[in-house]
Amino acid sequence: MSAYATTRHHSPSAFSASASTTLYRRLTWEGTVPLEIRVDPNELPANSDRGLECYYMQAPRVSYLPLLVPEIRRFLMDVVFDEAASKMLKEEDWWFESESRTLIKWHWPIGLIYDNHIISSSIKPSAQGSTSYLNMQVTPLKLILHLASPPTDKLLLSPSAEACKQAFMGQLKEADFLRWGNTKRMTSLRKAEQDGIWEGVKEHNFDDYWRVAAKVTPTIAPARPNSPPPPPSGSMHTRPPSADPQVAPDRDGAYNVRSVPVRLYLPDGPVLQDLVPPMLEDGSPHTLGHYLSTHIPLLFPPSSSSDSDLAFALIHGVLAPSEAEMAWLGACMPGADGWINVCVGIAQ
Amino acid sequence: MAQVPGSPEEPSRNTTLPWSGDGGENLLEAIQALDTYKKKDPSKVVVRFKAVGNAPIMKQNFYKITAANRFQAVIQFLRKELGWRAGDPLFTYINLAFSPAPDDTVSNLYKSFATEGHLIVNYSTTAAWG
Repeated sequence: MSAYATTRHHSPSAFSASASTTLYRRLTWEGTVPLEIRVDPNELPANSDRGLECYYMQAPRVSYLPLLVPEIRRFLMDVVFDEAASKMLKEEDWWFESESRTLIKWHWPIGLIYDNHIISSSIKPSAQGSTSYLNMQVTPLKLILHLASPPTDKLLLSPSAEACKQAFMGQLKEADFLRWGNTKRMTSLRKAEQDGIWEGVKEHNFDDYWRVAAKVTPTIAPARPNSPPPPPSGSMHTRPPSADPQVAPDRDGAYNVRSVPVRLYLPDGPVLQDLVPPMLEDGSPHTLGHYLSTHIPLLFPPSSSSDSDLAFALIHGVLAPSEAEMAWLGACMPGADGWINVCVGIAQ
Repeated sequence: MAQVPGSPEEPSRNTTLPWSGDGGENLLEAIQALDTYKKKDPSKVVVRFKAVGNAPIMKQNFYKITAANRFQAVIQFLRKELGWRAGDPLFTYINLAFSPAPDDTVSNLYKSFATEGHLIVNYSTTAAWG
C-alpha cells in the first residue's frame, strides 16, 4: 500500500475492491429493462412479414441503443424483411422515437431512457388513474424504430457505433475531470485499455469492463481488521477513510474526490448538474437527501425529517434511500460511463 | 425491471408506499414545482474561447452566453464567429480535458467546470483530446 513512495501509479484492480463494492457494481451491471421495438409501419418495405415487426428484448441498463442495433437487425433480417429489403438496410440511418413521438437520445444509457420515459408517461394527464410509479406493473418501454431520414439537426450526432463510443469516452473523461480536476487516470490508459473498456460495454462483459474501469473509478476502503464486521446489505453506510487518522489518505478514495459525477433528471427536464462534494462543510458525508433538498427543495423540502411526500428518486430504477452517501454511490453504483443518474418522479 | 437478488430493500411489486392521504394536493404542489424548475434561466455566464494548435484566434474571446443554452448552440455560435461552414472540422473541449455532450447546458458546465468566473472552451481543427 506504499504506493506514494513509487513513481508508478498503483492501479487498484477489480479484485482489490471489497466484496460489498463488487456486489453493488455487479448488481448495477446486471440490471435490465424490457423494451418493445416496433418498426414504423410506414417504413416497412414491401413484402415484409407484417405482424411480426415487433421485437421484445431485455436490455442492459448500462448499455446503449446503438449497441442493440446488430441484434435488432438480425431479427428483422431473419423474420421480417425479405432478401431484397434486407440488403437495403442502412443502420447508420436508424433512429428511435418513443410512443409519444419524442426523439430518443441515443447517447443516454438505456436504463436512464427507460426510467425517465416511464416517469414522464406516468405524469401525463392521459396516464391511468392515480397509480404510483412503483405500483405499476413493469411494462416494456415502447420504441418506434425508424429506418431512414434521421433528423440530424435534432440528433446532433449520427448514431453510429463509433459516435456512440466517442460520446461514451467523453463522458468517462468528464467524470474523471469532475472527480480529480484532471483526466490523468483516463489519459494514462493504454489505447488497448481504452478500447477494452468500450468492448466490455459492447459485449456486456462485467470482468472485461471492470478490468479497466477499476483503474479510473474511485474505491471504498475496506473496513479495518478490528472494526465491526461489514454492515448487512440493507445498509449503505461505510466509514469514510479520511475520518480515520490512522489510515493513510487513499489516493483513489471515493471520499477524496473533488466532486461525485451526478446528474439529476426531472421528468421532461431539465437535467441538472453541479459540484457534489463527498463531504459537507460540517464534516458529515454528503447524502442523497441533502443533495436533493439542496437542488430541488420544492420537491424535497429540507425541513422534512422523513422522505418527501411529493417526489421520489430512482437510481438504476431502484428507490434510493435519502441516507445513501453520494461518494459511496459514485464508487459502487455508477453507470458504465461513470455517472450517477438520479431520476426524479412525483408521487401519485 | 428484473428482480435482482440481494438488492437493498427493493420494494416488492405489491407494496404501497406511505404517501400521505391528501394525494391530490401533493400532486398539484409537485407539478407546480416541476413547472418552476422547467423555467429557463435567463442569466448569462462568461465563456472564454481559447484556440488550440492551428485554429485561428478570434478578435474577441470572451462572450456572455445564456446559461440555459445547450452546448450545441455554443458550437454553432463559434462556427458563425469563425466563419466556418457546417462541414468544416471543429472540435471543442472544456478545460483542454473533454468534449461535452452537445445537449449539456452551459449552465451545468459552468457550475461544474468554471474557473475564475468563466468557462473555458477550447477549439481546434483537429481532434486533440477526443
